[in-house]
Amino acid sequence: MLSSLAEELIDEYFNLPFPGVAGVRCPYFNNTRKRSRGQLRTLVGKGTPKEIVEESKIISTQYHLGIFENDCSVCKQNLTPDDIRKFMIDHDLGIECSGFVSQVLRVHYIESKGVDFARKIYIYPISKFLRYVISILRPIENINVQVLADDRNSTTVNLGEAAAGDIITMLDTHPTKKINHVMLIRDVKDNKIQYVHARTWSSEGRYGHGIMNGTIEIIYPKDNLISQRWTEKNLSGEQNETFLEARRAKVLQIRRVKI
Amino acid sequence: MLLLIGATVLGFALAPILTTILYKYKILRKAEFDYTLQGERGVKAGTPVMGGLLVIFVVLIITMLFNWDRRYTYVPIGAMAISALLGASDDLLNVFGGKRRLRNVRHSLTLIRVHRKWFMKIWHAVTLPWTAFRELTSIFGSKQDRGIQTHEKLFLQFIAGAITAWWVYSKLGQNWHTLWIPFDGSIDVGWFIIPIIIFFVMFTANAVNIADGLDGLVGGSLIMAFLGLAILSWTEGRTAFTPFNMTVIGALIAYTYFNVKPARFQMGDVGSLGLGTLLAINAIAINKTLLLPLLGFIFYIEIFSVILQVFFRRLLGRRLFKMAPLHHHFELIGWNEEKIVMRFWIIQAFVVIVAVWIALR
Repeated sequence: MLSSLAEELIDEYFNLPFPGVAGVRCPYFNNTRKRSRGQLRTLVGKGTPKEIVEESKIISTQYHLGIFENDCSVCKQNLTPDDIRKFMIDHDLGIECSGFVSQVLRVHYIESKGVDFARKIYIYPISKFLRYVISILRPIENINVQVLADDRNSTTVNLGEAAAGDIITMLDTHPTKKINHVMLIRDVKDNKIQYVHARTWSSEGRYGHGIMNGTIEIIYPKDNLISQRWTEKNLSGEQNETFLEARRAKVLQIRRVKI
Repeated sequence: MLLLIGATVLGFALAPILTTILYKYKILRKAEFDYTLQGERGVKAGTPVMGGLLVIFVVLIITMLFNWDRRYTYVPIGAMAISALLGASDDLLNVFGGKRRLRNVRHSLTLIRVHRKWFMKIWHAVTLPWTAFRELTSIFGSKQDRGIQTHEKLFLQFIAGAITAWWVYSKLGQNWHTLWIPFDGSIDVGWFIIPIIIFFVMFTANAVNIADGLDGLVGGSLIMAFLGLAILSWTEGRTAFTPFNMTVIGALIAYTYFNVKPARFQMGDVGSLGLGTLLAINAIAINKTLLLPLLGFIFYIEIFSVILQVFFRRLLGRRLFKMAPLHHHFELIGWNEEKIVMRFWIIQAFVVIVAVWIALR
């Protein structure tokens, strides 16, 4: 199991702390297309649930968008979680896969080992001095899938040894674009790996994406990860886009962060 | 005292006329261009801006009629007028001007490479440093595509600061080349007084401009700041500036009377830039430059809140305040406008008293 605070944080991403509205699942947002630089980490898909809600409040206030009451203490009545998710997606608020995993692992390792994972991890060499300084100042924003999958930061783990806190990395999942993905293992029991990740599925349209749980049922223990049964949103096989992405990945591994 | 009373009376007499003119020509605050006009602040939409003209006009009229002195009041009035003119242009362009197309460095570099006309390529190459300056300064301002941009304001404020520095350095005499240090007498800084003056004039003008966001905040705080200056100019023996400061106080009393919530008009950049410049110049003129952060305490706190917010946002990726300048932060945590203004006034009054005490020690 992940640490209790890490579990609480995951629950917060599933149920963002918007005052007065329950059940707002954090949407997915990746800064690759927008390419904001030197921005708030919330605006580049790396924020904590509280930061994301706070930024929603500020954006709503700044641009007269009426999500919150005038004193900003509570969301307007008769708003549904879907209304708020739509507002967030329209204003580029959400979390991306490595941002989500980094935030949860940070809390997990602080609680379980007393170590700040984001400060320990290798991001840039000191020879790239400016980048190095920025990564010291803003570690979470500079941790991406490649950093997590770097041998200096994590080691590969066999399928049978997978445990809570391990990550599943998928490198080069697109034939032409440089797209990577990472998922966090939440628990392993009864031959099932339960994972959680921030992702977007094309079948869900513009407003359906976000944080999602899934399972990988180990039906062939001696085979690799892709041979197992992947289930997400009760969909398996070709209908499960996470599985399709994993199948396309040039590198698919379970890794354990070196702490 | 007569000038104070005269300025106050003239201010009260001109205020209704100014309000009528501003309404007639529809120089009003527009909600669609202003993201801060939300909720309780929504009532501010439709309030006339450029109310600061009242103070500027009254100070100009009273000083030119009764206190005109080529040595002492000529340049402060001139620099104030330049800054006010800059502010007025910004106010008018914000109300009547269209959207401006602003190029960034990347766009300019592309144009230099691909433009069909060779003279346009040269034009974009020559103006590239200016474009880079604009992009650099834009990190301190909120995104806006109307009115005068941050880099243009800074350039014109630099001119106002340079005029002041030239006046102090070459016209006022050797006594003004010294910089008063609190508790430690004065040191002769020679020509270095020029960049110091330019910096303080630009910084203070922008500080007052940034603080101008709530009804009555800047007016009340400026009254206290100029009151401190009037006392200090008297006690320091530079009495030529005492009536001048009293004139400004008189005009500000009339302005603030109409500016408290619900405001009959708002100061606008014309007033905040003009009076910010004047505040700095009058402090410099009585050699109390280093007291400016205390005499204009609220303004300096407000501008530092913006600087810190930008620093936190760009370098650390987090917000220090919910919103900058500081008065918006307090609004977002639920304080009402009156509470913020009153508390800021009290703090400003207290710090001005401390400043006067420091100066008199």
